[in-house]
Amino acid sequence: MELFDRQLVFVVGKGGVGKTTVSCALALAAARRGKRVLLCEVDGVSRAAQLLGVASAEAGVAGPLVDGVAVMSIEGSAALAEYLGMIVPVRRFLQAVLKSELYQYFVAAASGLKELMTIGKIWYEAQRTDDRSGGRVWDLVIVDAPATGHGLQYLRMPRAARDAFGAGLVKREADRVVDLLSDPKRTAIHLVTTAEEMPVNETITMARRVRDELGMPLGVLFVNRLHTDHFRDSDIEALRSAARRSRSTVTGNMLLQVASRAAEESGWSQLNKRYLRQLAREIDLPRTELPFVFSEEFGEHELDRIVELIEATG
Amino acid sequence: MTRASQSGAASGAARSIADVVAAHGVVVCAGSGGVGKTTTAAAIGLLGAATGRRTIVLTIDPAKRLADALGIAELGNEPTPVVVDEKGSLAAMMLDQKGAWDALVEHYTESEEARDRILANSFYQHLSGTFAGSQEYMAIEQLAQLNASGDYDLIVVDTPPTHHALDFLDAPARLGNFLDRSVLKWFVRPYMSAGWSGLQLVNRTAGALLRRLEDATGVAALAEVSDFFNAMSKLFEGWDDRVQRVEKLLRSRRSAFLLVATSEEHVLSEGEYFCSKVEEHSIALRGVIFNRVQYESAAELGRVDEQRLEGLLQRAVASAPVRRRLVRNFLRYETQARGDQLRIESFRDQLPASLPVASIPNFEEDLHDLGGLRRVMQRLLVAGDDSAP
Repeated sequence: MELFDRQLVFVVGKGGVGKTTVSCALALAAARRGKRVLLCEVDGVSRAAQLLGVASAEAGVAGPLVDGVAVMSIEGSAALAEYLGMIVPVRRFLQAVLKSELYQYFVAAASGLKELMTIGKIWYEAQRTDDRSGGRVWDLVIVDAPATGHGLQYLRMPRAARDAFGAGLVKREADRVVDLLSDPKRTAIHLVTTAEEMPVNETITMARRVRDELGMPLGVLFVNRLHTDHFRDSDIEALRSAARRSRSTVTGNMLLQVASRAAEESGWSQLNKRYLRQLAREIDLPRTELPFVFSEEFGEHELDRIVELIEATG
Repeated sequence: MTRASQSGAASGAARSIADVVAAHGVVVCAGSGGVGKTTTAAAIGLLGAATGRRTIVLTIDPAKRLADALGIAELGNEPTPVVVDEKGSLAAMMLDQKGAWDALVEHYTESEEARDRILANSFYQHLSGTFAGSQEYMAIEQLAQLNASGDYDLIVVDTPPTHHALDFLDAPARLGNFLDRSVLKWFVRPYMSAGWSGLQLVNRTAGALLRRLEDATGVAALAEVSDFFNAMSKLFEGWDDRVQRVEKLLRSRRSAFLLVATSEEHVLSEGEYFCSKVEEHSIALRGVIFNRVQYESAAELGRVDEQRLEGLLQRAVASAPVRRRLVRNFLRYETQARGDQLRIESFRDQLPASLPVASIPNFEEDLHDLGGLRRVMQRLLVAGDDSAP
């Protein structure tokens, strides 16, 4: 599949598998092809901004466009206020509502409303056009979605709203959002996982739910943090027995360490391979494999490696 | 193992995570998503059973990870016994949102008619099925029930995978506010006589505007909302008390909060935020568990030189390319471990020195069965400074 010809892309997966890394790498790779990219972070974390080394702006406002990528943090209540601002243009009235206790309570209680507004805001940015040129403001909007369960709740919201509201503005808008989200020409849901048991099981379930329950188009399966090196048992054993024979404790310890790191890497590689096979069997999607990046701190340089790999496959 | 429990007992103070667990009846595992909270909670549960206590692990995670980790097919809304060969017992239950709400309605409604009316209400269906945040509310309710039942000596709570561990703490307060009597009154008035516009407490302008919003959006659902609260008013009676009881429980000496973290930068900064906030919530942080820690070895071995290392391997491995790969692999892990350790150390520097800390190594295999959980459990027994790499 062509990675960069969509208008709206969601990056979903279990917590801790590297969604932010993949989102940032996708954004940079698309920008290198000349796209204007908006990278959205949901839920008030600014890790993407941190990783890209850009300042994070206030919720709902795009940060400066740096190398073709702008970062926006999307927050439900801010999006709702913005939305109300559009349908209720009288500022004085609006302020009164937003400040009222009832409104605050309602928003706090009906927390699904925030998810709905978050998706609404994402949709708004994805289809927003420039007044003068008439072209879209962003070529590509990438959403770094919250962890699995929660992430799917966001995606489910527009449909729930459409079903809940029989008529009126909310129904009409929900219809438009659902249209965009389920159009395979414009939207893709990318999955990110590591090749380990629990993330893989979760990803398999998630793929099924995105396709069957939500009726949304799946994009690419990113398998992250793969270990690939293999060492023969005989080599590892040889190191251990050399360690036992060694007269120096320091040398002996070091040989043991080298042996156990080799065993560790082999162990992970085998395990990753096994779960890669399971993924291949159960998820019929194009797959991009990304390596475990050893580093003291995952930063710009490490991200760059991932960008290059994604560029090569895109 | 004995070393840890002895030193803890000798000093009379809780020094290992296991000591903390032993001294409390409710243990809450908090932390960012993806740090291994569920596995940690399961290992703590196992520890409870191993120390002869009747233990239950409550997971609020929509993904069925705990069931995976415990090797049982499915977790239900009811306590599921886990077969462990221990002195005590272990049960696990998952909070299935929809099921939990339904059970709650069943539990608190007096007549079948009242029950059916709530279950059929469309606002209820959306609230229970799709609304985020209700999980935390339900966890609180469930915790209250488990605690009141007296069936368990130890309740281990695995919090939902939120970005902010604190969401779980805020939920009861939010719910308390939400169900504040004056607000309830607005909702439980029959809709026709008091829609948004009938609310005396809202200023007139806002009231008029809300009515316009209602027209504009076609949110006839507001009537449903009102009806829902009417039907649920019985259920909500005393909810406030229950929430307060749970809050009190969480703040009592019976409960301990443990922070679960990894050595990743963003997880640790979230952890710092959590630590700074626990006091505000009058909640005591009783320990920190670092997951997936890579131990650095070079520190004790002295700096390693690539060439010298390759020379050392010469006696053991004949092939030069294999030797190079072995060395490169070793150094990569060292690099990773050095970063892990630096971040963890600087994080630990900010914690009280007496706070128990456990480090769980990055096991080269997935932990997906009781054997794996036992390995984690062993690390929880290690006391204080001994847990440092």
